[in-house]
Amino acid sequence: MTELSQPSARTRVTPAPGTEPGATVTDDREAALALLFDLHYTGLLRLAVLLGADDAENIVAEAYYQLYRRWQRLRGPEAALAYLRSVVCNLTRMRLRHLQVVRKHAGPATDPVAVASAESIAMVQDDQRVLIEALRRLPGRQREALVLRYWLGLRESEIATAMGISVGAVKSHTARGIATLTKVMEVRR
Amino acid sequence: MIGGPADTEERLREALDALANGVHPAPHAYGRARQEWHRRERRRKLILAILITVVFVVADAIGLWALNRTQVDSPVIFNWPTSVIQHKPADGTGPP
Repeated sequence: MTELSQPSARTRVTPAPGTEPGATVTDDREAALALLFDLHYTGLLRLAVLLGADDAENIVAEAYYQLYRRWQRLRGPEAALAYLRSVVCNLTRMRLRHLQVVRKHAGPATDPVAVASAESIAMVQDDQRVLIEALRRLPGRQREALVLRYWLGLRESEIATAMGISVGAVKSHTARGIATLTKVMEVRR
Repeated sequence: MIGGPADTEERLREALDALANGVHPAPHAYGRARQEWHRRERRRKLILAILITVVFVVADAIGLWALNRTQVDSPVIFNWPTSVIQHKPADGTGPP
């Protein structure tokens, strides 16, 4: 994933004579969001897909909208990517929970997540497909921790921030997830 | 160690990379997303303005209704008896 560069957003620009300060802040926000979108949209879209979202584009668009609304309350431009990542994780978890409830009430019908998963993993190799399938069957927290750790390469403290849990819990989820996947791969051999 | 957790970690990295590389964003995603933010922001501001207006109108209506119902001898706001104390001048001279 591309790294967040330091955009000139949020730097206090003195408005030119004759321009309103409010307009400068809005333009500033628009410019910063355009840059963030350009740099990180694809990465966040991939993150949502890897976490198992069936409508990754909506989830990422919603995350950017949340950032757009709360732009003034952001600690700084360097916090934007961590915030977006966290929102994508939360929204994906909520979406999967919602789908579980819908599935429970609807009975044995077509599972949209399964359909989306089947489409997205059609291109990977056979053993990788088994691993992805096993990853999808893991509990949500374990899946999130593994994706953030092994795909994004985040540190445990960063994963803890993104997931809103303690570093100890991150270690536990990661270890349990890897142990389950190892067992699946051993059974396959 | 072949087949252990380290091997699984490596395989997982490769599988996640392979899956991620198959995901591509739709063209003009930014334009569509920006349009949607602005639409939702306008809608949010409109709803907020309507709510504020409704609260003011209801508060005004209640106040006017309460004032309209009051009798002359039983006011709704200040209902204690008023007394006017007039001081008589001590020396018998008053103001002009």
